[in-house]
Amino acid sequence: MKLGAYPAFTATAFQARLAYRNQVWSSVFGELVATFAFIAVWTAAFADRGSVDGVSLPEMVTYVLIAGPLLQWNTTPFIREVGDAIRTGNVTAYLLKPLHYPGLLLFNQLGNNAFEQVTITLPVAIVVALSVGLLPPASFAHGALFLAYWAVSWSMLFLIATVVSLLAFWVLTAFALDWFLRGIMAVASGAIMPFWFMPAPLATILGNLPFAWVSYYPSAVYLGKLDIPAAFLHLALGLAWLAALGGFLAWLWSRASRRLVVQGG
Amino acid sequence: MGVMMTAIIAASGVSKTFHQPKRFAGLRGALKGLFNRDYTEIHAVTDISFTIAAGEAVGYLGPNGAGKSTMIKMMTGILVPSGGALSVLGRAPHSHRMINAAEIGVVFGQRSQLWWDLPVRDSFELNRHIYDIPAARYAENLAYLSDMLAMVGYLDRPVRQLSLGQRMRAEIAMALLHDPKILFLDEPTIGLDVVAKDAVRKFLSKLNRERGTTIILTTHDLQDIEEICPRLIMVDEGKLLFDGEVTRLRAALGSRRRLTLTFGTDPGTITLTTATLTADEGAAKHYLLEREDISLLDVLGELGRGHGLKDIKLEEPDIEEVIRTFYQTKPTLAGVSP
Repeated sequence: MKLGAYPAFTATAFQARLAYRNQVWSSVFGELVATFAFIAVWTAAFADRGSVDGVSLPEMVTYVLIAGPLLQWNTTPFIREVGDAIRTGNVTAYLLKPLHYPGLLLFNQLGNNAFEQVTITLPVAIVVALSVGLLPPASFAHGALFLAYWAVSWSMLFLIATVVSLLAFWVLTAFALDWFLRGIMAVASGAIMPFWFMPAPLATILGNLPFAWVSYYPSAVYLGKLDIPAAFLHLALGLAWLAALGGFLAWLWSRASRRLVVQGG
Repeated sequence: MGVMMTAIIAASGVSKTFHQPKRFAGLRGALKGLFNRDYTEIHAVTDISFTIAAGEAVGYLGPNGAGKSTMIKMMTGILVPSGGALSVLGRAPHSHRMINAAEIGVVFGQRSQLWWDLPVRDSFELNRHIYDIPAARYAENLAYLSDMLAMVGYLDRPVRQLSLGQRMRAEIAMALLHDPKILFLDEPTIGLDVVAKDAVRKFLSKLNRERGTTIILTTHDLQDIEEICPRLIMVDEGKLLFDGEVTRLRAALGSRRRLTLTFGTDPGTITLTTATLTADEGAAKHYLLEREDISLLDVLGELGRGHGLKDIKLEEPDIEEVIRTFYQTKPTLAGVSP
């Protein structure tokens, strides 16, 4: 194992994204429009009420920014890329290297994500902060815990997306998998609608699924909606989910690499 | 063949079968296919055995769908054989995919391993990390390869701006940066123009001679084999047809030399016993000399004087013709079949 190779993939992915400057501008614009659309919807929903179910409008605006541009629950580009590599057989280029494919994907995605944070999330956050306003973390402890939750969120999203995209080795097209996951993520991650606005039974079910650690729990911890002991407990639960998914991914990969069908000669 | 006769690749009865879900034609058929889970077995490779020694250059030849790429993919460890035993550098390539990958180089003519949006040099740099190549060795190899493959002018250009010929040379260079013991090439000259093909062939041949890198090359361009590989493995429909030296194949199939006689004016049909008339264009007549013991003098003796003969052209059969004959007749010639 050449461990030094993996960080090199992070740098290379970051660099490759720089090749298309126009893409950066259009992504920033798209993300701004989407963010302000959500803010407009919540503003209309609050309709001059100070708070709904104990949540204020400024808290919802901050939630929108954290759950959306910052934590990036959208797995479509990743699944499409991996799915295409499998569908066209280009995945062979990676399998011919002395590299662990999921490990390579992890570091590659780290580069992609770092690029997006710097070029998209940061400008959008600045615009929202200056125009509508953003709240700081509920307390120093919540802020510090949020950083840990951010790491869990990123890893969870990566594991979920990788597990789903590796299923393409069996079904040979990631298109349906992408739609399937997108539907689940939109609801179950809490990215669009926080669980506190959902009926209690639904919120309980979703709160125990791994998707909740992608958007809902990190945002809720930032805003102080979980007290510190609850935040620690859920951090531990999130780590347990990570371990379970990580184990499942390792098993899935060992199966997938044995049943590779290289398409297209 | 090299002086050292250590086998670095050994295939023994290797087979690969793919299971494909049965497809049915038309919309009705497509709907039926959603529920029908029948599979068709496709035998891509059937019972193939051979050994390859270190330093050899072997051409793996066969028509489309003959199972060439499948065999390469098994040797590189990305496909698992369904049967038989395969050993590359003393290991089963699939169970040791990563260790195997560190010691081989692979070029797929139809797939790029370079980063599309980055300069060639950046993809090379990434490979330096992947294979943990010592800095001095990397610099040395980069200099050697960019000189040999004339890449100096475009190392800093993004891959998407390169011509196919330039890209293919870069692909080959990238596969060699880490000094692989074996270089696998799957149709490396596909789509290249004559000049680019020539550059690639000359380089591979030189690499094999000077550095002793073992080369396994699949192609359906016979000139690749003629110029690079003294040894030929021919397959069709997944089965081994021939394994041996190109010269042996040529000899065994007989030297069907072609003779063209050109006359000042059309002398009318001339039939000979020493040569078979294959095409008559009037002033130019084409014959086939099928028997080894008949010389040009015998033919000219039989022809006699007085026909106004202007020019004579005698051609040895090229490898392409030898192989075409082979595939058409699929002989079980003693001494030719494996």
